[in-house]
Amino acid sequence: MLSSLPDAIAILLSFEGLVVLVLGTVLGIILGAMPGIGSTVAVAIVLPFTLTMSQAPAILLLLAVYAGSVYGGSIAAILINTPGTPQSAATCLDGYPMAQRGEAGLALGWATVASVVGGLISAVVLIFAAPQLASVALEFGPIETFALILLGMTCIVSVSTGSVVKGLLAGMIGIFLSTVGGDPILGEMRFTFGNWQLFAGFNLLAVVIGVFALSEVFMRASVHISKVSELVAFNGIVLPSRAMWRGRLRNLSKSVVIGNLIGVLPGTGAATAAFISYAEGRRSSPNRAGFGKGEPDGIVSSEAANNAVTGGALVPTMALGIPGDAITAVMLATLTLHGITPGPKLVEDNPTLIAAIFTGFFIINLLLLPLGMLLSRVAAPILRVREAFMMTAIVILCAVGIYFVRGNPFDLLVMGGAGVVGFLLRRQGVPMAPLVIGMVLGPTLELTLRQGLILTDGNFLAFFTGHPIALVLALAACVALMLPVWRALRARSTA
Amino acid sequence: MKLSTLTSAMFGAAFAASAAVADGFPERPINLIAPFNAGGGTDLLLRGLAPHFAEAIGSDVFVSNMAGGSGTVAASALQGQRPDGYQMAYMSVTVSTIQPQIKNVPYGVDSWTPICSVAASPTMLFVTADSPFQSMEDVVSAVKAEPGKYVYGSSGPGAITHLTMVSAFAGLGIIDDMKHLPFQGSGPAIKELTAGNIQFFGDTEILMKRGDFRPLVVFNSERVEGFPDVPTATEVGIAAPLNELYLWGGLFAPAGLEPDVTAKLEAACEGAVASDGFQEFAANSGTVINYRGAEEFDAFFRAQYESNAALIEAAGL
Repeated sequence: MLSSLPDAIAILLSFEGLVVLVLGTVLGIILGAMPGIGSTVAVAIVLPFTLTMSQAPAILLLLAVYAGSVYGGSIAAILINTPGTPQSAATCLDGYPMAQRGEAGLALGWATVASVVGGLISAVVLIFAAPQLASVALEFGPIETFALILLGMTCIVSVSTGSVVKGLLAGMIGIFLSTVGGDPILGEMRFTFGNWQLFAGFNLLAVVIGVFALSEVFMRASVHISKVSELVAFNGIVLPSRAMWRGRLRNLSKSVVIGNLIGVLPGTGAATAAFISYAEGRRSSPNRAGFGKGEPDGIVSSEAANNAVTGGALVPTMALGIPGDAITAVMLATLTLHGITPGPKLVEDNPTLIAAIFTGFFIINLLLLPLGMLLSRVAAPILRVREAFMMTAIVILCAVGIYFVRGNPFDLLVMGGAGVVGFLLRRQGVPMAPLVIGMVLGPTLELTLRQGLILTDGNFLAFFTGHPIALVLALAACVALMLPVWRALRARSTA
Repeated sequence: MKLSTLTSAMFGAAFAASAAVADGFPERPINLIAPFNAGGGTDLLLRGLAPHFAEAIGSDVFVSNMAGGSGTVAASALQGQRPDGYQMAYMSVTVSTIQPQIKNVPYGVDSWTPICSVAASPTMLFVTADSPFQSMEDVVSAVKAEPGKYVYGSSGPGAITHLTMVSAFAGLGIIDDMKHLPFQGSGPAIKELTAGNIQFFGDTEILMKRGDFRPLVVFNSERVEGFPDVPTATEVGIAAPLNELYLWGGLFAPAGLEPDVTAKLEAACEGAVASDGFQEFAANSGTVINYRGAEEFDAFFRAQYESNAALIEAAGL
């Protein structure tokens, strides 16, 4: 593949190549920043345009929009506490408190640098280690994935600000919400009460936007109505200085590794990676005490991991022809339309195309930095409008975004309902992040648990006796659960 | 006074419009609904068809997505709409004939005016290239020797991939000795086939070609061109109605569409499917074109609805 690099670079430096890279990234960032428009929808919006393009630019456009949208999601998460995409929900946890403190520019700076580093490293990994990593993906069957998700669930404890019991309660509500709709194994309908609108379950994005963004609007409306104030002070991105990075590099590199590895596993995704990485940061970062109150390490954990997923997800897609998520599935379909059969021989048969895709992906991640800074500078004046107008605009934007995705008015009801319930729960001090974690991880936890039980004939112990990877992950989950208890006990005994 | 004149004028216009609906049809853009997410197979097919359909009918045509519940959300929403010809969904065999018989959905066999079928591909059962199984006979004897050991996958309960497995293993009488492992989508299932957690999977030829796989049987009336050595289900001893299974799909409008409008849509569909542009698209995307007009498609759809009941019974859904 490396020998085809000159040809690949010639494709990238052509007029079509450059236009696609820059415009695609810009469009991706903007679409990602709009609440409700997730990466999948962003990619689907540009899909029709790729049909008339040649092979490499078509895929590069999709990739640019994909990477741009994952990064763009962090902008709305930090500035208006509205995750543009579910994978940015963890970014809200520290990004928004930082913005409220008046450090919005710096918070976005951390997010930008973390995203770029995460994306760039994942691109390098993709170029040099795709075949090796693809075989790792094959080691992860349903049982291993179950253990990984179990580990991810423990982050409910670490994101539960205030009361752990209330956090667990919110997590259970999230898992329960995710069980509505079709049973993944038997196909039967659960908790739909004969209403076909519920056959597909609750739309994840509608719930996320409801409990984060709408409930925030209600909270503000209930606190003060007439005060004229700026939402957050923001004049563009401020990059963190080198001194500020001291003591944070370990957390950054760990987050990138987590993002890459989880990205490689089909069926997990960027939201899972962001939460698991956030939990790991909260457990091991030297600055863990500040998590949830506007700690840069929290932003770095989430953003480095979710952008590293983009490269990771391309590994099984390109090396095995197996799409890791809905977005890579769209890319494979696009390849097919351009007369290329995805599969194990894809790289072998199309070296120039693949080299162009991989190097293009690297360049896209480089572009995130200047384009992100430029776009946020343009967006800054928008945030200076009066709070009441801003809140109204957020509600309208969320509603338009959610309706646009599936064209189903029912999703608006779900969003509104989630907003009201989120508002009531938050007033009682119940944190919302665990609810989202429950909803994101719940379906995979259930599916892989039941798949595993089918494979082991109902023997749950066999999950761990015959699967060393699963055993290690399950033990790690136990440690993650015990650690806060142990720390608290030690603190008490020394006190 | 002014208001009532306006109201009566509006009523008059509406009345005139409904009387002349067939003559003037179409007067506004036509919506083609994909019951699955943008970027999936159904969505791409519909987006490939839409511009040619627009040209043939002489009006704007746009594709919208309404995903969820294995396609039942879109179908349920459409069945309650006015049958005016401005809204149609592209429904597959599973959305139109399987789901309504296994779920409590508000639509059934009589809810539609079938317009035309567009594509149909026979399904295949396949194993990995390094699998010890060379034929279905090998499979039957291995399963009988070790009941409960072998696992077949699917992209979800009631999906075409599941029905392919059921047709094969129920047709050969070994399904009770095997385990079913459903996944969410074909991608993860194919990954587990490669990894060895499942031994069998079934889908259309285009998906089978994505990996290093070996087909063992094809659910077609005759052997298929690309694989002359792969026997048909009938040849390996699978009896009707389980011996043929096609992933087919076509356009459906709500029941009660005016015959004139149906005829116009049917003609446009025929023109679009026959167009050079769509033929080229089909060749590139591996779509097997299978056009049927409204009347023929209606009969085919009703026959499929009935014969698939046997499949549902065998699947235990």
